[in-house]
Amino acid sequence: MSKKHTRREVLGHAARGTALAGLGGLTGLLWMKANATFAWSINAQRCINSRLGAVGVEVCERCATECVLSLSAVRAVNEFKACGRCYICPAYFQITSAVGSDGLPTEKVCPRDAIKREAIGWIDPDDPANNFYEYTIDETLCNGCGRCVLECKEPAGLGSIRLEVRHDTCLDCNRCAIAQACPEDAFDRPEPT
Amino acid sequence: MILSAVLRPHLPRAAGLGLLLALAATAPRPAGAQEVLQYERPVDVAPTEETIGEGYVVPEVQRPRPLSAFRQVVDVTLLAVALVLAAWLAIFRRQRGWLVALTSACLLYFGFYREGCVCPIGSTQNVAVALVDHTYAVPHYVIVLFVLPLVAALLFGRVFCAGVCPLGAIQELVVLKPVEVPARLDKALGWLKWLYLGAAVYFAVLPAVERDFVICRFDPFVGLFRFTGAAWLLMLGGAMLIAGVFVGRPYCRWLCPYGALLSAFSRYAWRPFSITPDRELDCGLCQSACPYGAIEERRAVRTSCFACGRCYRSCPVHHAATAESVVPASALTSPAEPPKP
Amino acid sequence: MEYRLAQRFGGRGFAPHQFRQALRGVAVDGGGRLHAVGDSVVKVFDPDGTLLRQWATGQPGESAAVDDEGRVWVGQDGQVEIFSPEGERVDSRRDPGRLGLVTAVGFGGGDVFLADATARWVRRYGSDGSLLNNIGDQHRKGGFHIPNGVVDFAVDDGGVLHVANPGMHRVERYSPDGTLLGRFGRFDGQDPAGFPGCCNPTNLTVDDQGRVIVSEKAGPRVKVYDPDGELLTVVAAGVFDPGAKNMDLAVDAHGRLYVADTATLEICAFEPTGREATA
Repeated sequence: MSKKHTRREVLGHAARGTALAGLGGLTGLLWMKANATFAWSINAQRCINSRLGAVGVEVCERCATECVLSLSAVRAVNEFKACGRCYICPAYFQITSAVGSDGLPTEKVCPRDAIKREAIGWIDPDDPANNFYEYTIDETLCNGCGRCVLECKEPAGLGSIRLEVRHDTCLDCNRCAIAQACPEDAFDRPEPT
Repeated sequence: MILSAVLRPHLPRAAGLGLLLALAATAPRPAGAQEVLQYERPVDVAPTEETIGEGYVVPEVQRPRPLSAFRQVVDVTLLAVALVLAAWLAIFRRQRGWLVALTSACLLYFGFYREGCVCPIGSTQNVAVALVDHTYAVPHYVIVLFVLPLVAALLFGRVFCAGVCPLGAIQELVVLKPVEVPARLDKALGWLKWLYLGAAVYFAVLPAVERDFVICRFDPFVGLFRFTGAAWLLMLGGAMLIAGVFVGRPYCRWLCPYGALLSAFSRYAWRPFSITPDRELDCGLCQSACPYGAIEERRAVRTSCFACGRCYRSCPVHHAATAESVVPASALTSPAEPPKP
Repeated sequence: MEYRLAQRFGGRGFAPHQFRQALRGVAVDGGGRLHAVGDSVVKVFDPDGTLLRQWATGQPGESAAVDDEGRVWVGQDGQVEIFSPEGERVDSRRDPGRLGLVTAVGFGGGDVFLADATARWVRRYGSDGSLLNNIGDQHRKGGFHIPNGVVDFAVDDGGVLHVANPGMHRVERYSPDGTLLGRFGRFDGQDPAGFPGCCNPTNLTVDDQGRVIVSEKAGPRVKVYDPDGELLTVVAAGVFDPGAKNMDLAVDAHGRLYVADTATLEICAFEPTGREATA
């Protein structure tokens, strides 16, 4: 015996089918366009820390303070091949602080001590000022406050440090709190390529 | 003599002052005398590998690790599992206890651990923008997040609201002294969520410079999930929770824009939560037990029913019939079978 | 000891005594005449700055030196051209595949020393033209550190080479076979005895007393050090064009010092005055 389909049931099936088809179509349409790299990034040229004057300015640390995560998703990064490898790095040492007995300034710029300083190449023991040092940023400590970015630029530094968003931590919020607060609109979701 | 008489009472003070001055004179000089570096940069360009010598090679610059697909896959899988579980528990198993457990688990994971973001409610905006703006892309898992609860609504009704949505879950758990809202007011307020959906889509599809994701901005509970936020946001969340103690799930019933979509889709649900007619009893205790006004004429209104399960918890037939076991719904329709004690 | 600016001659222009685009090297011969190279030409001046003669070179000249026979050696890119005192081209030296930009030429013990700025060290060739050894290639940092692209050196009367290592902010002394004998200088922006900035001293020469005369860029100045590396005097600062760098130096037997201002294309002549510093 065949079951009689009421009109209500048929209409119900039709509506469901249409709705499912609609959802399927929507999914297909958006799936083709989907792009996993559509995420927040910092335009290093616009970041105000690399553009402010060198003396007596306050650092813009909104990248560290505004992020909704407790440890911001922004990190400082040293572009090694552009770094001067100087004995006294203005982004590592606070060059306006008092000089200690070893001839190096006593205070450091990074409030969380995230920059590591290591001698590289051939070290001349009699000639410290002419030896080279590598400055690496420890990403487990850095919170993206931007003080090193502020210090490393002309005339003191070569501008090799910049801020970058860590996409494995960034939540990719629709309303990025840092993007709202950035005074230079340097925070952006670039178009998918 | 008069002079000494005048001066004498001041002597101790003067002596003390003199002692202080003497000490100050011998105190170590302050840091102003310490040397500060006259900084001069020793290079104009970065040194090359050969200049540094000794086999030095420029190290790789730390790059951001790619977005972990693993976390997204986990989230989407858990969402699917929770939806299926909610449907099973609410509609087939009919156990409110387990449903509360699922609600709490989802609140803890999607709410406090994932901090309520990314959520299907907000994904509505992303989908809207992606349809309008060809330069805008939505990640795969956000599409799935948007579509899955809607598919579940087509199949089983608003099971997403049953206990999976963390915003719903947090309100669900504070409904303690629900009062009944007059039906007409309820209906009128129900239109607000369509207005909100319209506004959310409107602001989302504006050109990029004016675009505003209002659902995210006015999400009342995200501040509570993150334990931090703007004062007004936290107060809004708190107020909504306090209101929720007395008026069941105000955000879900009247404001949630995704709920507007779910109510539209659940209208054609295949196997939604339902209350079967009982010719003998028809007591209506379920209707008064429902805090959301989703039962009319002792039947569940599938577009507003959140499948919370309070109705069958207060159903005497269900109680008498089940205790431990589960009585299939079809058994209740047969009048010949008397309820067993 | 003190110096005074005696004269400026040359300059930028089209007159016979002027240079059009570049002034790269200066050298003094036994008669005190100044040979200046740049622009694919050699101009010879007498000590007052009067142009005596000039002749063309095959390529733009980078450096110049005059040997004991009066022949003028002009260092160029990949080769050295040798001219008679009258300007006739008599010979050339090449070392294909090895010799790069020759930015200084010197003589000692019958050998010829050529500063190779491409390789960043000094090459020593015998009178037959064969390469004997290199000086400075044993540097642990791969040669002299020359961000300015010019290696300059001078050979003193004892046959010791004094080479400027600007990136390391010092002057180094070598024996002709390449052994490091000593060095002086340190990076210091404040003390005049130190070498400031990224890379100084850029050029140097040695007088017959063994004193080392250096030129610096970026606040260009010329200084004189004694053979042990103690600063004797600052010859001039603020006299040169601020953009001048790699200013070549030459000194004659009377101590008259010639400095090639590479920005204004002038040759500045300085005379020592009055008292000598006590030895």
